[in-house]
Amino acid sequence: MNKVALSFKLNGRNVSVEVSPNTLLVDLLRENLGLTGTKVGCREGECGSCTVLLDGIPINSCLLPALKVADRSVTTIEGLVGEDGQLHPLQQAFMIEGAAQCGFCTPGMIMNAKALLDENAEPDDAEIRHALSGTLCRCTGYRKIVQAVVTASQMKKS
Amino acid sequence: MSYTFKDLHWAREIPLNKYLVPQSLTEALEMLGEYRGKARVIAGGTDVIPQMRHRDFEVEALVDITRLPGMNVIEQEGDDVALGGLVTHAQVASSHLIREKARLLADGAARLGSPQIRNIATVAGNVVSGQPAADTSIPLLALNGRVTIASKNGDRIVPLTEFFLGIGKTLLDPGKEILTRIQFGALGQNQGGCYLRLSKRKALALPMLVCASVVTVEPQKRVIEEASIALGPVAPTPFRASQAEARLRNAPITRETLNAASDMSMAECTPRDSLLRGSCEYREEMVKVFVRRSLEGALEQAGFPIK
Amino acid sequence: MNHAANFLRGNTMRDKTEDRKEVKVLTKEKLDLEQLLAAPKEALSVAGHSVTRTDDLQKVTGKLMYGADYPQGGFLHGKILRSPFPHALIKAIHVEKARKLPGVVGVLTAKDVPGRNGFGAIWPDQPVICGEKVRFVGDGVALVAAETEKIAHEALSLIEVDYEPLPPVFDPRDALKPDAPQIHEKGNLLSSNKLRKGDVERGFAEADVIIERTYQVPFLEHAYLEPDISFAIPQPDGTMLVEGPMQAPFTVRRNLAAVLGLSVNQVRVRQIHMGGGFGGKEDSPIDVGCRAAVLAYHTGRPVRLSLEREEVTLQTSKRHPMIMEIKVGAKKDGHLVAFEGVIYDEQGAYAGLGPVIPPAGGSHIHSMVMMPGPYEIPHVKVDAHLCYTNHPYGGAMRGFGAPQVHIAHEQLMDELAQELGMDPAELRRKNAFRLGSVTATGQVLDQSVGLIETLDACANAFDWENRCGKSQYIDNKGSRRRGVGIGMGWYRTSIGTSSDGCGANVYVHEDGSVLLYTGITEMGQGAFTVLPQICAEELGVRMEDVRLVKPDTDMVPESGPTVGSRSTTLMGNAIIMAARQIKESILEMASEMLLVPIDRLEAKDRQIYDRKSPGNSLAFKEVAAKCMAMGKRLIGQGWWAPPPASLDPETGQGNPYFVYTYSTHMAEVVVDVETGEVEVTDYVAAFDVGKAINPKAVEGQIEGGVAMGLGYALMEKLVLEEGYPQNLNLQDYLIPTTLDVPDIKPIILEVKNRLGPYGAKGIGEMPNIPATPAILNAIANACGGRVRSLPADPESVFQAIREAGGPPEK
Repeated sequence: MNKVALSFKLNGRNVSVEVSPNTLLVDLLRENLGLTGTKVGCREGECGSCTVLLDGIPINSCLLPALKVADRSVTTIEGLVGEDGQLHPLQQAFMIEGAAQCGFCTPGMIMNAKALLDENAEPDDAEIRHALSGTLCRCTGYRKIVQAVVTASQMKKS
Repeated sequence: MSYTFKDLHWAREIPLNKYLVPQSLTEALEMLGEYRGKARVIAGGTDVIPQMRHRDFEVEALVDITRLPGMNVIEQEGDDVALGGLVTHAQVASSHLIREKARLLADGAARLGSPQIRNIATVAGNVVSGQPAADTSIPLLALNGRVTIASKNGDRIVPLTEFFLGIGKTLLDPGKEILTRIQFGALGQNQGGCYLRLSKRKALALPMLVCASVVTVEPQKRVIEEASIALGPVAPTPFRASQAEARLRNAPITRETLNAASDMSMAECTPRDSLLRGSCEYREEMVKVFVRRSLEGALEQAGFPIK
Repeated sequence: MNHAANFLRGNTMRDKTEDRKEVKVLTKEKLDLEQLLAAPKEALSVAGHSVTRTDDLQKVTGKLMYGADYPQGGFLHGKILRSPFPHALIKAIHVEKARKLPGVVGVLTAKDVPGRNGFGAIWPDQPVICGEKVRFVGDGVALVAAETEKIAHEALSLIEVDYEPLPPVFDPRDALKPDAPQIHEKGNLLSSNKLRKGDVERGFAEADVIIERTYQVPFLEHAYLEPDISFAIPQPDGTMLVEGPMQAPFTVRRNLAAVLGLSVNQVRVRQIHMGGGFGGKEDSPIDVGCRAAVLAYHTGRPVRLSLEREEVTLQTSKRHPMIMEIKVGAKKDGHLVAFEGVIYDEQGAYAGLGPVIPPAGGSHIHSMVMMPGPYEIPHVKVDAHLCYTNHPYGGAMRGFGAPQVHIAHEQLMDELAQELGMDPAELRRKNAFRLGSVTATGQVLDQSVGLIETLDACANAFDWENRCGKSQYIDNKGSRRRGVGIGMGWYRTSIGTSSDGCGANVYVHEDGSVLLYTGITEMGQGAFTVLPQICAEELGVRMEDVRLVKPDTDMVPESGPTVGSRSTTLMGNAIIMAARQIKESILEMASEMLLVPIDRLEAKDRQIYDRKSPGNSLAFKEVAAKCMAMGKRLIGQGWWAPPPASLDPETGQGNPYFVYTYSTHMAEVVVDVETGEVEVTDYVAAFDVGKAINPKAVEGQIEGGVAMGLGYALMEKLVLEEGYPQNLNLQDYLIPTTLDVPDIKPIILEVKNRLGPYGAKGIGEMPNIPATPAILNAIANACGGRVRSLPADPESVFQAIREAGGPPEK
């Protein structure tokens, strides 16, 4: 299988790689680029652990052929920390509220929540739950995750 | 019941030799033609990739049509609303035009899968999947939608009532053809539609039943001039309850009418027993409930609510 | 306890000390340091607080490494060939084609297992590689190791196996019939167990009301988000290192040693942080670990064996299905007089975690003991049968046999309340355990019984009095009905075996920093935070001073598995003991340095200070440095085991578990009576946890556990047809999403456990237990439909309403 050149923006930086045509974005990120923060839970788009932002919009990277991201921008959990090392309000809020237990769904939850807050600065509980409805968590019962998003939105305000 | 090798063993990698990204419709059709059926269209990929992972089919190449120009539109064309072949479920769900002119389609698009899937899965892809309970196929069928199929031999327009052939099978051959446009009549004065869904949980769930109906009311006589009722999965394809529809033609807007229509719908559809989606008996009962509720909703939207 | 005296006598310490009257008084009096150290702390500065989890930063930044995140370079990829039959003989297996495929390094069959060809958490009856027969769809018949995952997969497809299908058995009651196909040589019955208290015949004769029902629950899947994975790395010295997510490193090690034919000290097992466990990773790591290790053993190279989601569902353990027949007799006033139960406990193809480990270990005997519920009943008879079938096998899933029986007794209590015309909460209040109550096994609950307190707190917060009773319509069309339900429960802290001990090592260093060695694992429940909290509290340092060393069987003491809600309590006690050994040194040294009697010293927040004059203090690290310089012991080792468990094998009488956690749940649901759809709209749950070491983490367990119980009630079931699972992926095995779970309100109560760290007892499993019946009871209240065979999915609720003759009148 021949490899194909692929250029895209990853967490704000230009990246050029060579990938096999059958490479999926989640595997490109995790194995070729060493960004293992994005997780694999099901490979069917059913659990959301693999959520990354494609041009700012949440998608399941386990279902996305890597070559689709040519000339587009991808943001992963690793891209959330600020240039100065400052944690994103969502990351801080998840820690404050105790919203992570095993942590496996946490990157996916945070990426979906980030996209929500970027579009809707003060979402209510129902809007938060709706935005996160494509990411499963088996540990938390979701309550503290929702609280964390609320806390993060308040932090962003001030 | 038995399992084959691929039911018991999963590989991480998907067999594929080439991933092609054409820049024009002509180029796309050319590429498909070169592979003589060993290539296939991919749009969002949320159906195609899991199918390839499960080895439901094998191709040498995928032809990614998401860079084709002009297919990412939602527009009004006279009395019709038209969607391009690359419009996503998320776009349809939030489109002002669709929510105004065909609310039932926006509702259907909003219920498919999950936010992540809706962000990238195309409505055209949902229709082409040929699943009997596809969340947009059903409302589009109720809207008497038409699809434009592009091939090397040119375009043809096919009504959805003729498009579906069987489970996973449609008139479109994804190794040769591309669905470029979907059209249907915008709902106007004295018209209403309603989409409803029954599933085992509130997100990320395949439906046990999807029901969509559209009614046109004759306001002076207060009768239902025309109605369409689309249902799935109650047959190998998305299903129109044509006998119930006939019963509704020129029928007065009363409870009796609605009950008759729902009883007839139940009688004319043939859901199978499914270990995962529910027994035939239950789904027939639900057809009755959902057709009734869907017609109630459509009438309400048309401005003629049933008491 | 003469350390202080010895020290002062034989040491060249500062001269000053010898003249001080106080010090002389100190040396003369017999010091009871143990008593001193055991005195309860008035104010806790670390334990009891919701400190941020030690691994949270790694989780939110994506830096935390789970098994699959480790680089794959240098590893061979291992894969398993699985049986397509639920029951069959293996006549022949042909591996030549597979062996010849370029890139294949090893293809193994049964004869290639170097040691014991059997693994299991309790009985090693599951072949590492099946040689003679297969017993469930997914049973392993060959192993492959190859340079890439793709080649390994292709190699699997080249292996040919000749099977001779055998008639399968799928129902435990069929398995017990004399002519049933025998799944294992010793027959299909693993054990029949008895509980006998009083005389049920007499009891039923005295009863005014008798109710008899049968309840049935299916196989459940843990559905932890992180699929199983194992790494086996053969070491140059002939030992084997296995790493992976796991709840029970010592159980994995013991199995590996036997399977590889090595002694236990030649196997090293290390835990990698888990993406969820819920009991499933108590035994699935034995499966993937032994198989990876056998491949590594033969190829001489490191092997990575990972499962795709479907494979996890296919081959790993499940929650036991059960058929439960119960009969309860009560007086008109609601007092229970007799309880009779029969459990058909489906073990599946292999022993898993079902069999009895005397006296009260294993899920089966636990189910039997828990069956009558947290109620005082004078006459009890339970017969419980554990049977093999040709289905996936039962392991441990959060509650270990208790969730199933709670679904039975809590629904039955509600049906009884209805029969008696009583408020279901009142019926429970009449019968619920209190301090001094005697259980069905004759155990006197002599401490830490907060069940009624949880009932009061829950009812108060939920406003049960005003909401209980008739269901109400909530829409004009009359199809949506609101109802409320209650569920009560209890759950042990400990595993009821004779070997329930926990060891901890603590090392303090010259700069006051601490290393904590424990074999308790982290699966998200917060152990890696709570255990350091206890350590820091007891030593008198801060959270950030303690670093927990991840479980590595070469380095940490035997600690037992991270199960049975035992970790905080048993390991917490062991840590306290270890810390106290060090504290002896610290306090003695500080007493020396400050010239203050030991019994006036307090260690808190990095300071050792005189309680009478707090300004007179020393920094912990200064004292530690001095101890190190003077050769005073700064190593502590703790070993704690609960009071011995007992359970008579003939009568089921004894004290199986030393303390219990209690809870009461109340749920509100809305049922669409035309479709059977259920929405849980409100939820309150109160728990007596003894002491919440980290309240936020306890809340997290409550909220998550309730969500899991909700899944059991409404949507979870491994659907099997002729032994074939139909829902292998998360698309069809449904667990609750954000839109399915309400805002759950947790209430924490503390009725101190004398035998727990700062009064704590377990919490991990309790929350998911009463949740399921609370919701089922609410459904019945809303629509009259009683679902006795789970899950209460829309079709089941719809049928139940039909059977009840339609929803109750307004």
